[in-house]
Amino acid sequence: MDRTSQSCRSRLPDNTALKQQRLPAYRLQLSATKVLSGFFATGAFCLGMGIVLILSAKSIKEIEINYTNICANCAELRENAINFDKECTCSIPFYLPDTMQGNVYMYYKLYGFHQNLYRYILSRSNSQLMGRDVKDVGNCDSFRKTHNGTPICPCGAIANSIFNDTIILSYNLTSSVRIKVPMLSNGITWWTDKFIKFQNPNSNNLPSAFAGTAKPPHWSKPVYELDEEDSGNSGFINEDFIVWMRTAAFPTFKKLHRRLNRIQYFTEGLPAGNYSFNITYNFPVTRFQGEKSVVLSTLTWSGGSSLFLGLAYTVTGAMTWLASFSMMAIHLMRKEKKMFFPSCQVKL
Amino acid sequence: MFCSKKKPLEVERVVKANDREYNEKFQYADNRIHTSKYNILTFLPINLFEQFQRVANAYFLSLLILQLIPEISSLSWFTTIVPLVLVITMTAVKDATDDYFRHKSDNQVNNRQSEVLIGNNLQKEKWMNVKVGDIIKLENNQFIAADLLLLSSSEPHGLCYIETAELDGETNLKVRHALSVTSVLGEDISRLAKFDGLVVCEAPNNKLDKFMGVLSWKDSKHSLNNEKIILRGCVLRNTSWCFGMVIFAGPDTKLMQNSGKTKFKRTSIDRLMNTLVLWIFGFLVCLGIILAIGNSIWENQVGDQFRTFLFWNEEEKNSLFSGFLTFWSYIIILNTVVPISLYVSVEVIRLGHSYFINWDRKMYYSERATPAEARTTTLNEELGQIEYVFSDKTGTLTQNIMTFKKCSINGRIYGEVDDDMDQKPNIIKKKKPMNFSVNPQGDKTFQFSDHCLMESIRLGDPKVHEFLRLLALCHTVMSEENSAGQLTYQVQSPDEGALVTAARNLGFIFKSRTPETITIEELGTLVTYQLLAFLDFNNIRKRMSVIVRNPEGQIKLYSKGADTILFEKLHPSNEDLLTLTSDHISEFAGEGLRTLAIAYRDLDDEYFKEWQKMLEDANAAAHEQGNRIAGLYEEIEKDLMLLGATAVEDKLQEGVIETVTSLLLANVKIWILTGDKQETAINIGYACNMLTDDMNEVFIIAGNSAEEVREELRKAKENMFGQNRSPSNGHVVFEKQQQLELEPVVEETITGDYALIINGHSLAHALESDVKNDLLELACMCKTVVCCRVTPLQKAQVVELVKKHRSAVTLAIGDGANDVSMIKSAHIGIGISGQEGLQAVLASDYSFAQFRYLQRLLLVHGRWSYFRMCKFLCYFFYKNFAFTLVHFWFGFFCGFSAQTVYDQWFITLFNIVYTSLPVLAMGIFDQDVSDQNSMDHPQLYKPGQLNLLFNKRKFFICMAHGIYTSFALFFIPYGAFYNTAGDDGQHIADYQSFAVTMATSLVIVVSVQIALDTSYWTVINHVFIWGSIATYFSILFTMHSNGMFGIFPKQFPFVGNAHHSLTQKCIWLVILLTTVASVIPVLAFRFLKVDLFPTLSDQIRQWQKAQRKARPQQSQRPQTRRSSSRRSGYAFAHQEGYGELITSGKNMRAKNLPPASGLEKTLSNSTSWIENLCKKTTDTVSSFNHTKTVKL
Repeated sequence: MDRTSQSCRSRLPDNTALKQQRLPAYRLQLSATKVLSGFFATGAFCLGMGIVLILSAKSIKEIEINYTNICANCAELRENAINFDKECTCSIPFYLPDTMQGNVYMYYKLYGFHQNLYRYILSRSNSQLMGRDVKDVGNCDSFRKTHNGTPICPCGAIANSIFNDTIILSYNLTSSVRIKVPMLSNGITWWTDKFIKFQNPNSNNLPSAFAGTAKPPHWSKPVYELDEEDSGNSGFINEDFIVWMRTAAFPTFKKLHRRLNRIQYFTEGLPAGNYSFNITYNFPVTRFQGEKSVVLSTLTWSGGSSLFLGLAYTVTGAMTWLASFSMMAIHLMRKEKKMFFPSCQVKL
Repeated sequence: MFCSKKKPLEVERVVKANDREYNEKFQYADNRIHTSKYNILTFLPINLFEQFQRVANAYFLSLLILQLIPEISSLSWFTTIVPLVLVITMTAVKDATDDYFRHKSDNQVNNRQSEVLIGNNLQKEKWMNVKVGDIIKLENNQFIAADLLLLSSSEPHGLCYIETAELDGETNLKVRHALSVTSVLGEDISRLAKFDGLVVCEAPNNKLDKFMGVLSWKDSKHSLNNEKIILRGCVLRNTSWCFGMVIFAGPDTKLMQNSGKTKFKRTSIDRLMNTLVLWIFGFLVCLGIILAIGNSIWENQVGDQFRTFLFWNEEEKNSLFSGFLTFWSYIIILNTVVPISLYVSVEVIRLGHSYFINWDRKMYYSERATPAEARTTTLNEELGQIEYVFSDKTGTLTQNIMTFKKCSINGRIYGEVDDDMDQKPNIIKKKKPMNFSVNPQGDKTFQFSDHCLMESIRLGDPKVHEFLRLLALCHTVMSEENSAGQLTYQVQSPDEGALVTAARNLGFIFKSRTPETITIEELGTLVTYQLLAFLDFNNIRKRMSVIVRNPEGQIKLYSKGADTILFEKLHPSNEDLLTLTSDHISEFAGEGLRTLAIAYRDLDDEYFKEWQKMLEDANAAAHEQGNRIAGLYEEIEKDLMLLGATAVEDKLQEGVIETVTSLLLANVKIWILTGDKQETAINIGYACNMLTDDMNEVFIIAGNSAEEVREELRKAKENMFGQNRSPSNGHVVFEKQQQLELEPVVEETITGDYALIINGHSLAHALESDVKNDLLELACMCKTVVCCRVTPLQKAQVVELVKKHRSAVTLAIGDGANDVSMIKSAHIGIGISGQEGLQAVLASDYSFAQFRYLQRLLLVHGRWSYFRMCKFLCYFFYKNFAFTLVHFWFGFFCGFSAQTVYDQWFITLFNIVYTSLPVLAMGIFDQDVSDQNSMDHPQLYKPGQLNLLFNKRKFFICMAHGIYTSFALFFIPYGAFYNTAGDDGQHIADYQSFAVTMATSLVIVVSVQIALDTSYWTVINHVFIWGSIATYFSILFTMHSNGMFGIFPKQFPFVGNAHHSLTQKCIWLVILLTTVASVIPVLAFRFLKVDLFPTLSDQIRQWQKAQRKARPQQSQRPQTRRSSSRRSGYAFAHQEGYGELITSGKNMRAKNLPPASGLEKTLSNSTSWIENLCKKTTDTVSSFNHTKTVKL
């Protein structure tokens, strides 16, 4: 009753496009020409891209040497944790048939190592690793502290399980002269990792910075001795360590270990010839039925891509074309006997 | 509901007038009402408690608790708590605003003023301060503040008139009268202040028509009944003042007791959604179990060897236990298939749709300044699925305004020949309506255009004069002349009002009446007729007559009534005229007009005296009084001379025919449920095209027992099948015996139109359990069903019947309180905010001012809402499956360790930030075809009725789509990342890069998908879709920025990731391929669907596109003309007994009353009369009210 006393005008809804649902709009409609041309274009693009990718993937030179079983004696030694301080090396000769042009990267590759386990990924302390508080072992479950209560540094399962083989590549210049292929151990990490995420604690010398902490149980030396030659690569900012700490998404993964220093004989890349890997075998893989290998690879414009992407693109492109041809056929067949709206029977 | 919690149950109420201290000890509720739920202090606890009673919220709360267990938790607590808090806050804000408005309206009502007698003077007091036992004064047209015992009034004998529209929807005035002992108190304040009567009465209840109590005053007891009580919510009419004593106040009043909790309505989509959520939950558990088993096996085979290596000092684990924990962890991770935001988004979308309804100018009725109003915001999409509309008649289909349209006098038709005034304005110009300005007493609103009639009146055609005189004399109208000399009529039935007003405008003005005289002004001269007898109307007689003596001393009997009855009473000499008039009546009826035959008779003095004596005898007789009187009436009403016939239009509301036609085309079945008489109902049925002469058959069920009704129903059905087909008869019978699902098949095989008309008393039998199915089956096969003379309860029962057995969506539309039960029980209740009270509107889910808006509400708003909601749900389920199931695939590669694929922040924000707005925009704004097209092609409405746009099948398609997308989304990056390196040789196959790649592809894929799903791209859609992608990237880069890591190293460990990953060509190639692979099949599928099996809306869209360049074509719906068939009906809506009221003079104003002696004379027998009348009215009213209150 009291409503009527209000002025009539105020109750009349506003005549705006929004309120009257008359907003100017584009009506999306899947018209035949649009869809079919879109399909053909997409198909063409995918096919083209697929071929390019396949070609470039083919151009990559890659050599992978699985040394799990080649160094069987070392593997056996590592089966037993008691032998952790016994050194074991093995040498794997191989022949490189073609020159590897350009930048050559050396990766280590692990099979069946689950770096993506939930509790494994969690088991690290970012605040420790950025050097704020070396004793902050927050999330590092099961590798927080040693038995006597000293905080482990770097703590956590990831750090503890670091890949600790050393791999040295030698080039047999002649049958008797072997030279060590110069490898760079820097520039293998992301900039943000090296300079933001991982920081050594502030201190004038590293050992004091890590005073009061213990090394992880699997490690043979403390974190500040990771690179005894270059203090800029030691401690948390050791690049091998950083690479390891960036956990892999899948149980089979390769991680960048070294890159070729293109000097002397190697300015063009790795020349063809005889090589050998000298491996200090520390990392046990047989215990979890895993395998490990070392990979030498060049890159292409899209990185070290595998064939998959190219194949996938090609298949997608082919399927799209197939679909568009059949759609066109169906559409044309339909069109002949198509009913147009006003005369059509209502069929729902 | 609030008062009853503290006090013991009240058995009996004792109230003493003017004695607040005495009444205080009973702690009766005062007159303050609370409809609000909370106050500032209780808001938080009560609201939270209420919210966590909802299954969804409770579910998420339990998830949250699971997440707090470190062994299980696979996601941080914030992934759940952020959305949950958001959801709860939003709901709380909405509840708070709702409650604020309730507080406001409470305050407004509580602060209304009324005059209360305190001490010895009247004081203005707010309603809320009125206490039980107070005496308050009410003035004309005031709302009554509380349930009062009427003490005295300005009218004689303590009568007062009230309008109970807000209580029961009846607009005709009701009489209440005070006890004679209190009515003598009059206006005397000092005497009223001394009144100290003690009322002992029943406890508060919700029965509107019952009251029992005793007033003890001055050592005598007076029993009180409903006739002494005026209830809160009524309006005082035609009574300049009255005094009443408050018996029930505030929450105890019958009005408030009746406003029980409204039933919470859910839409069928809601129910489906709940089922689906349950299914999804089951699916989730299955996934959890699979993954848990996987985990057990993995732990057993692989994890064991890892354990010593990765987790140095863990000894406890056995693989089964680990599997058990993994199960819960996966439940937490995968919970996003049932996202919290689903429920919130649905609410938001519905709210948006409700606002669109409120804002629609095309549903705004300017004459009464009423916009349409969505009073419930949760039912919109159901408006797009209506199959049955149950409509009230009076005030809904019709305007409840009667206009005198035509008449036939002495074999000649007067009144416009062509009644299409609106359609043909040029004719109006030629044919000006008659100018009544010469007649100062004319009613300005009256429109009647026939100059021939004026001419005949001027020329003094005796038949015409007699005709108009009859109209001015034979009725039960009361007149009232205000100070300015303006006549106003108090009418019982609008039909009569129309006739008397017509006579008035044609120069025969009914001026006033006393119990013994009627004064009319005949073409300027006052003539007083002596009223000798009043032969009242009743349902059997279907006529009424008056016997008057004119100033010349002639005695005349004037009669008007149903033609069928009256024609039998005519003098044989009338035969020629009879056929002519009968034709005219048929013609009128064919136009949907209500007709009455008019006749008179000259009476002999002697004969009349004899008759009068016999009547007096009969009146005094103890036995068979009624029968004897009826016989006498019969005797004198014979040998009548036919004068002619009147035709009154029960004006249909504007656009009713179009609306009905269009809804019928939309396959909506419309049933009329009306309290009106069969003839009236049928007339209206024909008038609004629901019944046509083309119908194969109209079945009328009027049996008086269950057996009869069943027989009639059976016969009708046989008839229907018999006419339909002979060859496949047996087949159909066989089908019929099957489940209800099969019934539509039967229905469709019926060709031809049938209509069913059923009477209230037959309906009562038909609704009995064993006849019910027959009725339902027959009714559902008929195109139109009309139920007449139904009670409010029956209306609700019919609705329930259809609702229960047809599993169809029902809509009830009505305007009066008698429709409340039906409105409440239907899936959707619509109140016409018309002249009748507010009850229907208050009980309704939607309200608007005109029936015709129903068309727009259903065909445009309902359809769109349904369409949008379905699209929304499809997309939403798809999106969440795509989003969540990648975790399942990943489980196989991460040792089932419940590692998430995405960053936790992404999981938190995905549903509420990254993808919520585009889908909301689609859910709110999308249109497949324009509103005009929806109106023009009612067939577009059918998918909603058949539930085609979202059902279990659609859900599985969406689910499959989502699973496919998640598959593509996971395995393409997986393949691409296998054994790969970035373009700087560094690795990109790390977990974090993978997470970013997946998240980015997901956001892009679902955005492309929504872009494809959105068929109506407004600016808002553009902003939301592009904005969402932009928001995703900006948040991504912010969270992966050095600064954020520097501040919260633990929360944002993804530092630098966005930058590194998204600058890799390889990753973009992956994202692109994923998008193409997930979108192309969908696109192909949709294209083929539109191409091969276009739906009507697809066709309309295509057609529209083709037409866009050409001129916009106006669709031409054939104008449906009413067909003519002979129907006539006596259409008096007034109650029996008013004649008695008039002849007794009880309702006459003092100034109209005969001299004092006459007053005394009438006083002596007044009590008996009033009680008589009251008994009669309560009998009829109570039977009707009783059934209603049960429902209320």
